[in-house]
Amino acid sequence: MAARPGCSSSVPSLPPPCPKSPPEYPDLYGRRREAAKVQMLEREIGFLEEELKSLDGLQPASRCCKEVADFVVANSEPLVPTHQRGNKSCRFWKWLCGMSCFSLSWVCCCCCCCYSACPVHLELPCSCNCNSCSPCKCCSCPRCSVRKCRCFSCPKSDCCRGISCCSRCCTFSFPSCPSCSCCSWPSCSCCSWPRSSCCSWPSSSCLKCPKVSGCFSCNCKDICCDPCYLCY
Amino acid sequence: MSVAELKERHKVATETVNSLRERLKQKRVQLLDTDVAGYARAQGRTLVTFGPTDLVCCRTLQGHTGKVYSLDWTPEKNRIVSVSQDGRFIVWNALTSQKTHAIKLPCAWVMTCAFAPNGQSVACGGLDSVCSIFNLNSPVDRDGNLPVSRMLSGHKGYVSSCQYVPDEDAHLITGSGDQTCVLWDITTGLRTSVFGGEFQSGHTADVLSVSINGSNSRMFISGSCDSTARLWDTRVASRAVHTYNGHEGDVNAVKFFPDGNRFGTGSDDGTCRLFDIRTGHELQVYYQQSGINEIPHVTSIAFSISGRLLIAGYSNGDCYVWDTLLAQVVLNLGQLQNSHEGRITCLGVSADGSALCTGSWDTNLKIWAFGGIRRVT
Repeated sequence: MAARPGCSSSVPSLPPPCPKSPPEYPDLYGRRREAAKVQMLEREIGFLEEELKSLDGLQPASRCCKEVADFVVANSEPLVPTHQRGNKSCRFWKWLCGMSCFSLSWVCCCCCCCYSACPVHLELPCSCNCNSCSPCKCCSCPRCSVRKCRCFSCPKSDCCRGISCCSRCCTFSFPSCPSCSCCSWPSCSCCSWPRSSCCSWPSSSCLKCPKVSGCFSCNCKDICCDPCYLCY
Repeated sequence: MSVAELKERHKVATETVNSLRERLKQKRVQLLDTDVAGYARAQGRTLVTFGPTDLVCCRTLQGHTGKVYSLDWTPEKNRIVSVSQDGRFIVWNALTSQKTHAIKLPCAWVMTCAFAPNGQSVACGGLDSVCSIFNLNSPVDRDGNLPVSRMLSGHKGYVSSCQYVPDEDAHLITGSGDQTCVLWDITTGLRTSVFGGEFQSGHTADVLSVSINGSNSRMFISGSCDSTARLWDTRVASRAVHTYNGHEGDVNAVKFFPDGNRFGTGSDDGTCRLFDIRTGHELQVYYQQSGINEIPHVTSIAFSISGRLLIAGYSNGDCYVWDTLLAQVVLNLGQLQNSHEGRITCLGVSADGSALCTGSWDTNLKIWAFGGIRRVT
């Protein structure tokens, strides 16, 4: 406290306040944390010793490698099918589809398994080499575990729905955007979703019009059915 | 015991752990009499070879406006769910490229998604530390958004990965940045089990990926930033069944091999590896020098249905198709015509094994299928 004005300076000034240092408490939290770490390490030591013991009598890696190789070889691989798939009937369908895409896209469609609503229901022969298979629908043999054919169902199977099916239904109008009438492909611009303005997106169910890019596998250059996975 | 004494014990225990790990490593090396490639070469296996039109991009799924981070196929039908930096999940019909759902997520920072086994629900998780469940059959609100049917809250860090337990629509496993994996009961929204964590033996860094064994759904693998993969039994949460060492960087991706007895990993160290779950052996390392200084990270992996092919996406945009048996790259999808223009972040093979889907930073997904006839011996 400052001396009042007029007072003599004989009153000694008090030292500035100096708070005491806090007492040294034991670092309980730090000790417990350290103890927990030690406990975890000792547990890890136990696990490692167990694992070291388990290695005695463990089979060598070559046995595991054999199992891997045997498994791979025993199972067919759809992404790399065997040469046996190229039987005569499959080659016929492949040729037919290659021709049909120019003028009979619905056949192409059907041969690519558009069996749901197409007026003509063609079935690919089962190429699974499974003797017990009954004549199977393409890609859906109920008994055979081996994949039969390599194509997915023609995407037009959804648009057909029993209504003027598959006839070059790249004038795909189902499902149409409920809020616009512009989904008459190929002029539709609304399906550049979500950037379009004619669809009241995001509340509409405007879906992307299938863009025709030609059947890839059959090399047809003309406007074709929607690109099926593999065109026979 | 004083802190000083505890610190001394800590030091001794650390040295013991390191010594035991070294002994384990040496003993395992002695048991590695061959790798898969060595065995396959000795058996006279020939390499899978692809022609230029054999594995082709037959669909490009356009619609996301941000980087695609994760995708998942339905177990039954050809539908795919994907999530993106644009904060949405989209459900696609893979055959027609149609979008059946395009839903805004409650948290835009999404990292993972998964389809329920029945194909009726989707799970998404990300930086909000929550895994949100959406029922695809629910009516949408006025803005066209699906309501969240269940929120799985409890993680203390981001949800990096999720997968439904096969054939169990009510159970899901998540991996998290909080170093744990959790088995959830979706019906109640509660955690059934927590794998790892502060007081249990588990990962010591973020968990980045999980994969459930299709042959035995009680077992799953997790991959972590601690450079290990761990095998868990859902009945025993207190400790991992096994820890697989070998990688020298974050394990970004794990996937079970189709036989259920092996699994693959992909890591920041640029390698993919194949481990045997029962013996712990590292059966194969898949690595190809890229010729540039920086080693590209493996971001995602998938096995073909027979296991013959291992597909791996890398941070430099490559997507190598490895012959699993001979450990050689047989195709680079990243260099093919009509391929992605950015890093491939996620991969998935369809349930019937006939198609591969890739998702990328270029905002697109692409479907790849086989387009020719190839002999394999």
